[in-house]
Amino acid sequence: MASHAKAAQQLARQLFKMSVVDGVVSAERVSGVLAYVEKHRPINPVMVLKAYQRLVAAELARAEAVVEHAGAVSEAMLGAIAAAMATRYGRRITATAKRGDALLAGLRVRVGDDVYESSIAGQLAALAQAV
Amino acid sequence: MLSHMLILAQATGSAAEAAAAHGEASTGITTIFKNFGISWPFILAQIVNFCVVAFVLWKLAFKPVLATLDERNKKIASGLQYADDMKAKLEAVQQESVASSKRAQVEATRIIDEARKAAKEFLDKQAQESAAKAGEILAKAQQLIELEKKKMLAEARTETARLVVEITQRVLARELSDAERGRYNESAARELTNI
Repeated sequence: MASHAKAAQQLARQLFKMSVVDGVVSAERVSGVLAYVEKHRPINPVMVLKAYQRLVAAELARAEAVVEHAGAVSEAMLGAIAAAMATRYGRRITATAKRGDALLAGLRVRVGDDVYESSIAGQLAALAQAV
Repeated sequence: MLSHMLILAQATGSAAEAAAAHGEASTGITTIFKNFGISWPFILAQIVNFCVVAFVLWKLAFKPVLATLDERNKKIASGLQYADDMKAKLEAVQQESVASSKRAQVEATRIIDEARKAAKEFLDKQAQESAAKAGEILAKAQQLIELEKKKMLAEARTETARLVVEITQRVLARELSDAERGRYNESAARELTNI
Protein backbone atom coordinates (compact mmCIF):
# COMPACT_ATOMS: atom_id res chain seq x y z
CA MET A 1 0.00 0.00 0.00
CA ALA A 2 2.84 2.34 0.88
CA SER A 3 4.59 1.50 -2.37
CA HIS A 4 1.37 2.30 -4.33
CA ALA A 5 1.08 5.68 -2.61
CA LYS A 6 4.71 6.44 -3.30
CA ALA A 7 4.35 5.49 -6.97
CA ALA A 8 1.19 7.62 -7.22
CA GLN A 9 3.00 10.61 -5.72
CA GLN A 10 5.88 10.16 -8.11
CA LEU A 11 3.56 9.92 -11.13
CA ALA A 12 1.60 12.98 -9.96
CA ARG A 13 4.83 14.97 -9.69
CA GLN A 14 5.82 13.93 -13.23
CA LEU A 15 2.41 14.94 -14.55
CA PHE A 16 2.61 18.25 -12.73
CA LYS A 17 6.01 19.02 -14.24
CA MET A 18 4.52 18.40 -17.65
CA SER A 19 1.68 20.84 -16.83
CA VAL A 20 3.99 23.79 -16.15
CA VAL A 21 5.18 25.98 -19.01
CA ASP A 22 7.61 28.83 -18.27
CA GLY A 23 6.88 28.56 -14.55
CA VAL A 24 3.11 28.83 -15.08
CA VAL A 25 0.51 26.11 -14.97
CA SER A 26 -0.91 25.78 -18.49
CA ALA A 27 -4.58 25.01 -18.85
CA GLU A 28 -3.97 23.20 -22.10
CA ARG A 29 -1.31 21.01 -20.57
CA VAL A 30 -3.55 20.23 -17.63
CA SER A 31 -6.32 19.19 -20.01
CA GLY A 32 -3.86 17.00 -21.87
CA VAL A 33 -2.65 15.40 -18.64
CA LEU A 34 -6.20 14.64 -17.54
CA ALA A 35 -6.97 13.13 -20.94
CA TYR A 36 -3.85 11.02 -20.68
CA VAL A 37 -4.78 9.77 -17.22
CA GLU A 38 -8.29 8.96 -18.39
CA LYS A 39 -6.99 7.07 -21.36
CA HIS A 40 -4.11 5.24 -19.76
CA ARG A 41 -5.49 4.53 -16.35
CA PRO A 42 -2.62 4.19 -13.84
CA ILE A 43 -2.70 1.61 -11.04
CA ASN A 44 -4.36 3.95 -8.59
CA PRO A 45 -5.90 6.79 -10.61
CA VAL A 46 -7.80 8.42 -7.74
CA MET A 47 -4.70 8.75 -5.62
CA VAL A 48 -2.71 10.07 -8.58
CA LEU A 49 -5.36 12.65 -9.44
CA LYS A 50 -5.65 13.85 -5.83
CA ALA A 51 -1.91 14.34 -5.56
CA TYR A 52 -1.86 16.05 -8.95
CA GLN A 53 -4.70 18.36 -7.88
CA ARG A 54 -2.85 19.32 -4.69
CA LEU A 55 0.29 20.16 -6.65
CA VAL A 56 -1.61 22.21 -9.25
CA ALA A 57 -3.62 24.05 -6.57
CA ALA A 58 -0.46 24.86 -4.62
CA GLU A 59 1.25 26.12 -7.76
CA LEU A 60 -1.78 28.21 -8.72
CA ALA A 61 -1.87 29.64 -5.19
CA ARG A 62 1.84 30.43 -5.43
CA ALA A 63 1.21 32.18 -8.74
CA GLU A 64 -1.79 34.14 -7.52
CA ALA A 65 -1.88 37.09 -5.13
CA VAL A 66 -5.31 37.36 -3.51
CA VAL A 67 -5.80 41.01 -2.58
CA GLU A 68 -8.47 41.34 0.08
CA HIS A 69 -9.70 44.92 0.37
CA ALA A 70 -12.27 47.18 2.01
CA GLY A 71 -13.16 50.05 -0.23
CA ALA A 72 -12.29 50.63 -3.84
CA VAL A 73 -9.18 49.08 -5.42
CA SER A 74 -8.07 50.16 -8.86
CA GLU A 75 -6.56 47.94 -11.52
CA ALA A 76 -3.40 49.97 -11.27
CA MET A 77 -3.08 49.04 -7.60
CA LEU A 78 -3.57 45.37 -8.37
CA GLY A 79 -1.01 45.54 -11.14
CA ALA A 80 1.51 47.27 -8.91
CA ILE A 81 0.99 44.69 -6.18
CA ALA A 82 1.30 41.81 -8.67
CA ALA A 83 4.50 43.29 -10.05
CA ALA A 84 5.95 43.80 -6.58
CA MET A 85 5.14 40.21 -5.60
CA ALA A 86 6.53 38.83 -8.87
CA THR A 87 9.75 40.73 -8.20
CA ARG A 88 9.82 39.48 -4.64
CA TYR A 89 9.21 35.79 -5.47
CA GLY A 90 10.95 35.74 -8.84
CA ARG A 91 8.01 34.31 -10.80
CA ARG A 92 4.96 35.57 -12.62
CA ILE A 93 2.14 36.35 -10.22
CA THR A 94 -1.33 37.55 -11.00
CA ALA A 95 -3.42 39.63 -8.59
CA THR A 96 -7.03 38.83 -7.79
CA ALA A 97 -9.27 41.21 -5.82
CA LYS A 98 -11.51 39.94 -3.05
CA ARG A 99 -13.78 42.13 -0.98
CA GLY A 100 -13.32 41.99 2.79
CA ASP A 101 -15.22 44.61 4.76
CA ALA A 102 -13.78 43.31 8.03
CA LEU A 103 -10.55 45.11 7.16
CA LEU A 104 -12.41 48.46 7.55
CA ALA A 105 -9.86 50.04 5.20
CA GLY A 106 -6.64 48.80 3.63
CA LEU A 107 -5.33 45.66 1.92
CA ARG A 108 -4.38 42.12 2.80
CA VAL A 109 -2.36 40.20 0.18
CA ARG A 110 -2.08 36.41 0.36
CA VAL A 111 0.50 34.62 -1.82
CA GLY A 112 0.51 30.92 -1.13
CA ASP A 113 1.05 30.66 2.63
CA ASP A 114 2.47 34.17 2.96
CA VAL A 115 0.24 37.05 4.09
CA TYR A 116 1.04 40.78 3.84
CA GLU A 117 -1.34 43.21 5.43
CA SER A 118 -1.75 46.94 5.76
CA SER A 119 -5.20 47.61 7.12
CA ILE A 120 -6.96 49.41 9.93
CA ALA A 121 -8.28 46.11 11.32
CA GLY A 122 -4.75 44.76 11.42
CA GLN A 123 -3.45 47.82 13.17
CA LEU A 124 -6.26 47.69 15.71
CA ALA A 125 -5.56 44.02 16.32
CA ALA A 126 -1.87 44.80 16.80
CA LEU A 127 -2.82 47.59 19.19
CA ALA A 128 -5.07 45.29 21.22
CA GLN A 129 -2.33 42.68 21.30
CA ALA A 130 0.23 45.23 22.46
CA VAL A 131 -1.98 46.52 25.27
CA MET B 1 39.42 -11.37 159.04
CA LEU B 2 38.03 -8.22 160.65
CA SER B 3 36.45 -10.20 163.42
CA HIS B 4 39.83 -11.89 164.13
CA MET B 5 41.47 -8.50 164.48
CA LEU B 6 38.72 -7.23 166.80
CA ILE B 7 39.17 -10.27 168.97
CA LEU B 8 42.95 -9.73 168.90
CA ALA B 9 42.51 -6.08 169.95
CA GLN B 10 40.17 -6.99 172.76
CA ALA B 11 42.61 -9.63 173.92
CA THR B 12 45.48 -7.15 173.82
CA GLY B 13 43.48 -4.68 175.91
CA SER B 14 42.63 -7.39 178.45
CA ALA B 15 46.27 -8.47 178.71
CA ALA B 16 47.45 -4.92 179.40
CA GLU B 17 44.88 -4.50 182.04
CA ALA B 18 45.85 -7.82 183.60
CA ALA B 19 49.57 -6.90 183.64
CA ALA B 20 48.86 -3.58 185.24
CA ALA B 21 46.65 -5.24 187.82
CA HIS B 22 49.15 -7.90 188.78
CA GLY B 23 52.03 -5.53 188.59
CA GLU B 24 54.24 -8.27 187.39
CA ALA B 25 56.86 -7.62 184.79
CA SER B 26 56.24 -10.28 182.36
CA THR B 27 58.05 -9.76 179.15
CA GLY B 28 57.27 -9.68 175.50
CA ILE B 29 55.37 -11.78 173.11
CA THR B 30 56.00 -15.00 174.89
CA THR B 31 53.90 -13.90 177.77
CA ILE B 32 51.14 -12.75 175.47
CA PHE B 33 51.14 -16.02 173.52
CA LYS B 34 51.09 -17.84 176.74
CA ASN B 35 48.28 -15.83 178.23
CA PHE B 36 46.15 -16.15 175.11
CA GLY B 37 46.86 -19.86 174.71
CA ILE B 38 48.43 -19.50 171.28
CA SER B 39 50.44 -22.35 169.99
CA TRP B 40 52.67 -22.22 166.94
CA PRO B 41 51.42 -25.45 165.32
CA PHE B 42 47.92 -24.37 165.72
CA ILE B 43 48.74 -21.04 164.14
CA LEU B 44 50.54 -22.71 161.28
CA ALA B 45 47.71 -25.11 160.78
CA GLN B 46 45.31 -22.23 160.68
CA ILE B 47 47.54 -20.41 158.23
CA VAL B 48 47.75 -23.46 156.00
CA ASN B 49 44.07 -23.99 156.39
CA PHE B 50 43.44 -20.35 155.50
CA CYS B 51 45.70 -20.58 152.46
CA VAL B 52 43.95 -23.73 151.29
CA VAL B 53 40.58 -22.17 151.79
CA ALA B 54 41.76 -18.99 150.13
CA PHE B 55 43.19 -20.93 147.20
CA VAL B 56 40.02 -22.98 146.81
CA LEU B 57 37.90 -19.89 147.06
CA TRP B 58 40.22 -18.11 144.57
CA LYS B 59 39.99 -20.96 142.14
CA LEU B 60 36.39 -22.00 142.50
CA ALA B 61 34.56 -18.84 143.46
CA PHE B 62 36.53 -15.66 143.20
CA LYS B 63 38.06 -16.33 139.80
CA PRO B 64 34.80 -17.34 138.07
CA VAL B 65 33.12 -14.36 139.68
CA LEU B 66 35.94 -12.11 138.48
CA ALA B 67 35.67 -13.73 135.04
CA THR B 68 31.96 -13.17 135.06
CA LEU B 69 32.48 -9.61 136.22
CA ASP B 70 35.10 -9.07 133.53
CA GLU B 71 32.82 -10.56 130.96
CA ARG B 72 29.98 -8.37 132.18
CA ASN B 73 32.27 -5.40 132.17
CA LYS B 74 33.35 -6.30 128.67
CA LYS B 75 29.75 -6.74 127.61
CA ILE B 76 28.85 -3.47 129.21
CA ALA B 77 31.85 -1.81 127.61
CA SER B 78 31.02 -3.37 124.27
CA GLY B 79 27.41 -2.35 124.74
CA LEU B 80 28.50 1.16 125.57
CA GLN B 81 30.88 1.08 122.63
CA TYR B 82 28.10 -0.26 120.45
CA ALA B 83 25.82 2.46 121.76
CA ASP B 84 28.50 5.03 121.10
CA ASP B 85 29.06 3.55 117.66
CA MET B 86 25.34 3.50 117.03
CA LYS B 87 25.08 7.03 118.27
CA ALA B 88 27.95 8.06 116.02
CA LYS B 89 26.41 6.13 113.16
CA LEU B 90 23.05 7.69 113.91
CA GLU B 91 24.64 11.09 113.89
CA ALA B 92 26.46 10.23 110.69
CA VAL B 93 23.24 8.93 109.20
CA GLN B 94 21.43 12.04 110.36
CA GLN B 95 24.17 14.21 108.92
CA GLU B 96 24.12 12.14 105.78
CA SER B 97 20.36 12.42 105.70
CA VAL B 98 20.58 16.17 106.15
CA ALA B 99 23.28 16.38 103.49
CA SER B 100 21.28 14.09 101.23
CA SER B 101 18.22 16.22 101.84
CA LYS B 102 20.21 19.32 101.02
CA ARG B 103 21.63 17.67 97.93
CA ALA B 104 18.16 16.52 96.92
CA GLN B 105 16.85 20.00 97.49
CA VAL B 106 19.70 21.48 95.46
CA GLU B 107 19.14 18.88 92.74
CA ALA B 108 15.40 19.53 92.79
CA THR B 109 16.06 23.26 92.57
CA ARG B 110 18.45 22.69 89.69
CA ILE B 111 15.96 20.44 87.90
CA ILE B 112 13.19 22.96 88.44
CA ASP B 113 15.43 25.73 87.13
CA GLU B 114 16.38 23.64 84.12
CA ALA B 115 12.73 22.78 83.52
CA ARG B 116 11.80 26.44 83.75
CA LYS B 117 14.65 27.34 81.44
CA ALA B 118 13.67 24.61 78.98
CA ALA B 119 10.05 25.69 79.14
CA LYS B 120 11.05 29.28 78.54
CA GLU B 121 13.27 28.30 75.63
CA PHE B 122 10.49 26.14 74.23
CA LEU B 123 8.03 28.98 74.55
CA ASP B 124 10.48 31.39 72.94
CA LYS B 125 11.12 28.94 70.14
CA GLN B 126 7.41 28.36 69.64
CA ALA B 127 6.84 32.09 69.60
CA GLN B 128 9.60 32.59 67.06
CA GLU B 129 8.30 29.77 64.88
CA SER B 130 4.79 31.12 65.12
CA ALA B 131 6.01 34.58 64.20
CA ALA B 132 8.00 33.16 61.29
CA LYS B 133 5.00 31.17 60.10
CA ALA B 134 2.75 34.16 60.45
CA GLY B 135 5.24 36.23 58.49
CA GLU B 136 5.46 33.58 55.83
CA ILE B 137 1.70 33.32 55.57
CA LEU B 138 1.45 37.08 55.44
CA ALA B 139 4.09 37.27 52.71
CA LYS B 140 2.31 34.57 50.72
CA ALA B 141 -0.99 36.34 51.16
CA GLN B 142 0.57 39.58 50.01
CA GLN B 143 2.12 37.84 47.01
CA LEU B 144 -1.22 36.26 46.22
CA ILE B 145 -2.96 39.58 46.53
CA GLU B 146 -0.32 41.18 44.34
CA LEU B 147 -0.71 38.46 41.73
CA GLU B 148 -4.48 38.74 41.84
CA LYS B 149 -4.17 42.48 41.49
CA LYS B 150 -1.85 42.15 38.51
CA LYS B 151 -4.08 39.55 36.96
CA MET B 152 -7.12 41.72 37.50
CA LEU B 153 -5.34 44.74 36.05
CA ALA B 154 -4.21 42.71 33.05
CA GLU B 155 -7.72 41.41 32.51
CA ALA B 156 -9.13 44.91 32.88
CA ARG B 157 -6.52 46.26 30.48
CA THR B 158 -7.25 43.49 27.98
CA GLU B 159 -10.95 43.97 28.26
CA THR B 160 -10.58 47.73 27.94
CA ALA B 161 -8.41 47.32 24.87
CA ARG B 162 -10.89 44.88 23.38
CA LEU B 163 -13.75 47.27 23.99
CA VAL B 164 -11.78 50.20 22.59
CA VAL B 165 -10.85 48.22 19.50
CA GLU B 166 -14.39 46.97 19.04
CA ILE B 167 -15.87 50.44 19.45
CA THR B 168 -13.25 51.89 17.12
CA GLN B 169 -14.01 49.22 14.54
CA ARG B 170 -17.72 49.98 14.74
CA VAL B 171 -17.18 53.70 14.54
CA LEU B 172 -14.74 53.42 11.66
CA ALA B 173 -16.97 50.97 9.83
CA ARG B 174 -19.81 53.46 10.07
CA GLU B 175 -17.96 56.71 9.66
CA LEU B 176 -15.29 55.95 7.01
CA SER B 177 -16.35 57.11 3.56
CA ASP B 178 -15.44 55.35 0.34
CA ALA B 179 -13.07 58.13 -0.57
CA GLU B 180 -11.24 57.75 2.71
CA ARG B 181 -11.07 54.00 2.24
CA GLY B 182 -9.74 54.52 -1.26
CA ARG B 183 -7.03 56.87 -0.06
CA TYR B 184 -6.11 54.44 2.69
CA ASN B 185 -5.99 51.63 0.14
CA GLU B 186 -3.65 53.62 -2.07
CA SER B 187 -1.40 54.19 0.89
CA ALA B 188 -1.55 50.49 1.79
CA ALA B 189 -0.76 49.50 -1.81
CA ARG B 190 2.29 51.74 -1.78
CA GLU B 191 3.38 50.24 1.48
CA LEU B 192 2.92 46.68 0.24
CA THR B 193 4.73 47.30 -3.02
CA ASN B 194 7.70 48.68 -1.12
CA ILE B 195 8.14 45.64 1.15
